[in-house]
Amino acid sequence: MNSSPSTILPKAVSVPARVSPRRHLAQAAPWLAAAAVVGYALVVGGYPATVVGFALIYAIFVSGLNIFMGLTAQVSFGQSAFAAIGGYGSAILTTQYDWTWAPAMLAGLAAAVAAAFVIGYPTLRLKGHYLSMATLAIGLIAHEIAVQWESVTLGYLGISGVPPIDIAGFELSSDRATLTMLTVCVLATAFAVARIRRSRLGRAFAGLAGSEDAARALGIDVARYKLLSFLLAAGFASFSGSLFVHVVGYVSPEVFSLHMVILSFTMLYVGGIGTVVGPVIGALVVSVLPETFRALRDYQDLAYGAALILLLIFAPRGLAGLFAALDTRRKP
Amino acid sequence: MSAQAQKACLEVQDATRRFGGLVAVNAVSFQVKPRSVTAVIGPNGAGKTTLFNLISGALSPSSGRVLFEGVDVTAEPPEAKAARGLIRTFQLVKLFPELSAVENVKVGCHLRTRGGLLAALLRPRWARRMEAETEERARVLLELVGLAATADQPAAALSYGQARLLEVARALAAQPRLLMLDEPAAGLNADESARLATLIRRIADDGTAVLLIEHDMHLVMNTADEVVVVDFGKKIAQGAPDRIRQDPAVIAAYLG
Amino acid sequence: MDFTLIGQSLVSGLGIGCVYGLIGIGFCVIYNASGIVNFAQGAFVMLGGMITHALFVRVELPYGLAILLAVLIVALIGVVLERVVVRPLWTRNAPMFVMILATLAAQIVIERLTYLAADDQPKTLPVFTDVPPIMLRGIAVNIQSLWIITGSLAIVALLALFFKTTRTGKAMRACAINREAAALQGIPVHSMLALAFALSAGLGAVAGIMLTPTQYTAYDVGVPFAISGFIAAIIGGFGRPFGAFLGGLMLGVVQATAILYFGAGLKTVIALSILLLFLFVRPSGLLGAAK
Repeated sequence: MNSSPSTILPKAVSVPARVSPRRHLAQAAPWLAAAAVVGYALVVGGYPATVVGFALIYAIFVSGLNIFMGLTAQVSFGQSAFAAIGGYGSAILTTQYDWTWAPAMLAGLAAAVAAAFVIGYPTLRLKGHYLSMATLAIGLIAHEIAVQWESVTLGYLGISGVPPIDIAGFELSSDRATLTMLTVCVLATAFAVARIRRSRLGRAFAGLAGSEDAARALGIDVARYKLLSFLLAAGFASFSGSLFVHVVGYVSPEVFSLHMVILSFTMLYVGGIGTVVGPVIGALVVSVLPETFRALRDYQDLAYGAALILLLIFAPRGLAGLFAALDTRRKP
Repeated sequence: MSAQAQKACLEVQDATRRFGGLVAVNAVSFQVKPRSVTAVIGPNGAGKTTLFNLISGALSPSSGRVLFEGVDVTAEPPEAKAARGLIRTFQLVKLFPELSAVENVKVGCHLRTRGGLLAALLRPRWARRMEAETEERARVLLELVGLAATADQPAAALSYGQARLLEVARALAAQPRLLMLDEPAAGLNADESARLATLIRRIADDGTAVLLIEHDMHLVMNTADEVVVVDFGKKIAQGAPDRIRQDPAVIAAYLG
Repeated sequence: MDFTLIGQSLVSGLGIGCVYGLIGIGFCVIYNASGIVNFAQGAFVMLGGMITHALFVRVELPYGLAILLAVLIVALIGVVLERVVVRPLWTRNAPMFVMILATLAAQIVIERLTYLAADDQPKTLPVFTDVPPIMLRGIAVNIQSLWIITGSLAIVALLALFFKTTRTGKAMRACAINREAAALQGIPVHSMLALAFALSAGLGAVAGIMLTPTQYTAYDVGVPFAISGFIAAIIGGFGRPFGAFLGGLMLGVVQATAILYFGAGLKTVIALSILLLFLFVRPSGLLGAAK
């Protein structure tokens, strides 16, 4: 009795998905826009390159957040904790123990993922405002530890003198070299997210996002996949934290405050939650826009917060939602 | 264990579930034979869906046992039972509304495919082949339930009847050994209902046992080999459809 | 550790615990009226102190008048928050985390506005009555702590009276039990939500004003207070206002004792650890969650 329904199925010709030229354009448009901004910064260099560089670091962090929130429909207000682990890991190991950047980054990544595993196991059983508050608390605890554990983190003073990343003896210290490296990192991240999204793993995430009951009834181990999604998000957060300290050469607790969390959510919602390109577009728009209006710079946090509220109320699908309006299908 | 019991695909033994003082399911026992269609019928509120939840693992019984292919699976969570081949649908359809119809069915292939993070990232040849097979399988299953034309529409855009059929296709994607359908014909038009009846018969004839809760007596009488009647949480009758139709206790339950 | 030191920290713990309790009640009042957890609760506490300071020091109003006006202004800000941020999302039935995110963003907006309107310098207020501490068996009891404790108890008593005897109070409780049924009974559910925000903002403001003379206030003190208030609400069983008050007292005392042993630097970490402990082990609180 090993027969399965597959044997009863008529050998029908499968209907391939139709891909219209307009659809191609709609998909390419945000990427082209992002490429234009990065390309401009590469050509001009200097301050614009710095701003776009920060945006790209954020794009990686937000892409991780997007795996957990966009693809898996879970909530975490504490991803800054994992960015902090990666950032401080890289900073401490390279400045105080003379490690080179690559093993330091990997060690930070391993520590962040391990921490996410320990934290995620009890936390992800919570729901609603309990989950929200628990994750928020984790982010704040990380920030407090960075402030208080002065013997290691140097407290508010922060750790300076973190060396830039070097590849084969060539130090990536110029604006353009840094920007190129970050662009490669962002492309790799987006590539990873796109592949995850269109895979068995991504479908399991989408399943538990759509209905936990239905997912379980189809044999998807909801707790396991939630944790896996959390670990992935923590991994990208740690990666972005490490990149940040190498690019800036400095780390302090303020980098990983609640403001970082709100800022990243603003980016996620500006770009469009659940899409591959959304985090990239969101990070670029939110970073570049205040710079073009110099007068706004004192009001940045205010603007991020207000923009986030407006987006949540009026355009919960973000800019990618606008691009998708050209498109008929909503998700993969 | 008798030879008879070993042959059963599913065996429910004295399943009981209390909610506070209310006994929603009271010592219900029955068997589902392989390659058969068993229908659970009964008036609204008789405890059918609770019984289903006890079998599928969504609820745990207060007492009693559930054996699947001879193994005691009473305490297993839904995903573990699903992994054994016990797949259900829901009375209130639970699709993945943001995904297209074909993606919904592909999620259903989870148990019959493999690959985690590394397969997703590196996409080796076997994973690519599996993806292609999954895609084709999903479309074939949609064809089977009559939804080929809506394969690329978001599930949220489907009509109620179409959504139900999609849920059946998604469950079939998991290649169940026992398929549990909770009111699959609710909201279906006559055409869709007839198609469903044929499909259920075909699934059973091909080796998958089917257990369904249904109000549509026409469907039950046309498809079921065995009918279990519950009322007020208790089993009041069991037998072939023709016999059940004439059972005085059943008639009383439905009229009274 | 000598007895007087423990006694002293107990008194200050009770004082700050009352403040946490009032903030916790604020969480519950809004949660019961709407099912929303308002993460901007700490902003009210900060605004209470900051606005009183502005009215008293800059505008040079009499202290009492400044306090009264500040509470009213913060209550009004609560209503504005409800109207502008919460209601549009609430009527759209937005997911819970969107609502939380929006209130968290509102917290940041209010913080930055306050920073722009004032500055980033810590500010303090004079004690309510300038009397030297009372000595009780060697324990110096700070008069402001007595003000906080008696003031908070009075507020809790008034709240109890309000919920038990007034029409509006009963209507709010009805909303907490079953919003749909309350709406069918002709209770204006939307006004109740606005009222809940006003009430909870006012409570936060009072808490902030009473506490400021013993510590200080600044544009960024809100979030830690919100967290402490939330912890108080969790300990009391989320949605039970008086449970939240007791939870606040407990948190205050535990925190004060812990500071004695571990130092004030880890104050926030201790509070957050208590939060996680409760969330992981007993999320329904000591008294069991409402509903």
